[in-house]
Amino acid sequence: MSCVILPPLASIEAVKPVFMIVMGVFLMIIAWRLAKGLEGWSARLIVAGTILLGVGYTVVLPLYDAGVIPRYSLRPSALSSGPDAYAWNIVKTFVMNFGWLLFGLGLAIHARIFSTTSPGRKLSPPTPVTHESPAQRTS
Amino acid sequence: MNLLLSALLRNHLLFDALGIIGLGLLGLAAIKLARTYKSWGGTMMALGTIALLVARLYFILHPIFFTNDLEAAMGPLGISLTIALPPLLLSFGLAGIVWGLWGHERWIQEESP
Repeated sequence: MSCVILPPLASIEAVKPVFMIVMGVFLMIIAWRLAKGLEGWSARLIVAGTILLGVGYTVVLPLYDAGVIPRYSLRPSALSSGPDAYAWNIVKTFVMNFGWLLFGLGLAIHARIFSTTSPGRKLSPPTPVTHESPAQRTS
Repeated sequence: MNLLLSALLRNHLLFDALGIIGLGLLGLAAIKLARTYKSWGGTMMALGTIALLVARLYFILHPIFFTNDLEAAMGPLGISLTIALPPLLLSFGLAGIVWGLWGHERWIQEESP
């Protein structure tokens, strides 16, 4: 890169990694708080997925934006993409995609989209109708 | 390295498919949460998931469809839109999912004190 001038602080290029770091940290915190009230595999999958996503959004993608990690290119003309770029590219695609897969699977189990019974029935049980006569009520 | 493994890793096909399946499950779960619990967090999550899926579709289709002729036919406004829209969609999608998850988490805390 010939341009070594740092971007101004308020520009979009400078704000983007900050936004991703803040969002990744918030995602991990909220998922941890959500998983405290859950049980079973949904909590584990949500926490595992958001930790992967948080690592991706707070570490890997800002390092790409900062230029620390070389970008991987499929074009054969790009001679700069060596084994480092290839390995980091695998790490990035693994972390981002497996993070979304585990997070989506956990939230799907939490929302019970695989169960056939309607969860609305469990949430609002019908109030039992009592058939009692006025005479019984007064006695 | 095995040829099949190398092709899968090099073309990102396996990982992209897994990520898209995960985003689809996330969208389904968000819509179900919004419908059954009447929480606005599910709606925000669904909108964010749709934005992320659209951005991913663009990134997958870009090397196939966007040739030099198509870019010449789109004009400068179209080219600048293709440059500006995907980061906006990615940012909005991530923000929507985080915001929706926060709303759903708050809803759960209010429901079960």
